[in-house]
Amino acid sequence: MSAAAHESPASEDVRAVTEDVWMVLLGEDGGLRPRTVPADAPFDAAAWSAATTISGGWHGVVTVELDEALARLLTGRMLALTDDETATDSDVADAVGELVNMVGGNVKSLMPGPSTLSLPAVAAGRAAFGSDSALACRIDLAWQDGPVRVSVHVPQGGPR
Amino acid sequence: MRAMIIDDSRAMRSILRRIVTGLDFETSEAEHGQDALDQLRAGVVPDVCLVDWNMPVMDGYTFITEVRANPAWRDITLMMVTTESEQRQIVRALAAGAHEYVIKPFTPDAIVDKLSLLGLVPA
Repeated sequence: MSAAAHESPASEDVRAVTEDVWMVLLGEDGGLRPRTVPADAPFDAAAWSAATTISGGWHGVVTVELDEALARLLTGRMLALTDDETATDSDVADAVGELVNMVGGNVKSLMPGPSTLSLPAVAAGRAAFGSDSALACRIDLAWQDGPVRVSVHVPQGGPR
Repeated sequence: MRAMIIDDSRAMRSILRRIVTGLDFETSEAEHGQDALDQLRAGVVPDVCLVDWNMPVMDGYTFITEVRANPAWRDITLMMVTTESEQRQIVRALAAGAHEYVIKPFTPDAIVDKLSLLGLVPA
């Protein structure tokens, strides 16, 4: 196994990737603010979570969690819904899935390859992580006063 | 001009649809490569396909190889629009017959510029 396969993404890189995705999706309103959260604190507000798995030259799981209002706002923007239209749960799942697909795909580009990116898995509720995974990187941000968390987990004992 | 948007995400199809309809394209949409192939076989033949890579049922790379294997569809312009950003993947897609490659996230201008490079919209 190469030494590169043991790397973890830098938090500032994951933050930059997330900010880029947000800005492109939401334009001028897409500015994310840093949010201070105690280490090891579970995400306080997750109503939606989505994860994608990177496998190959590097292994890891990228997860995005966000609260209900924020997920629906983001979905409305992505689908260009009018004030009279309401995003369905299916719409939200689709939009949050595409969000983690973009963040995950760009995290993959930061890491050694070649690797493949799984289709996103979306859940209503907080993300759960197995005991065989370890947190490699976590960033907490806020958009429109709603919390967003992006996490990268790697196999226990380091990326492989 | 007609564009077929092939992406398993409704949200992404919506974003791309808004961009290309703003350029006066007519659009059709497919949820994955097989869906797109079925539409082509049914006679819905666009000028350009905007193709995601990672999709269920049939991925975008397989779709491109299928399209390029059929001489009847040789005039269709193929543009990958995907999060796959490894050089190896880009080379594979272009070798298989994609004309252009756009990495998500993209700005509307990036799509317009690529379509312009392909001669599908006025520069």
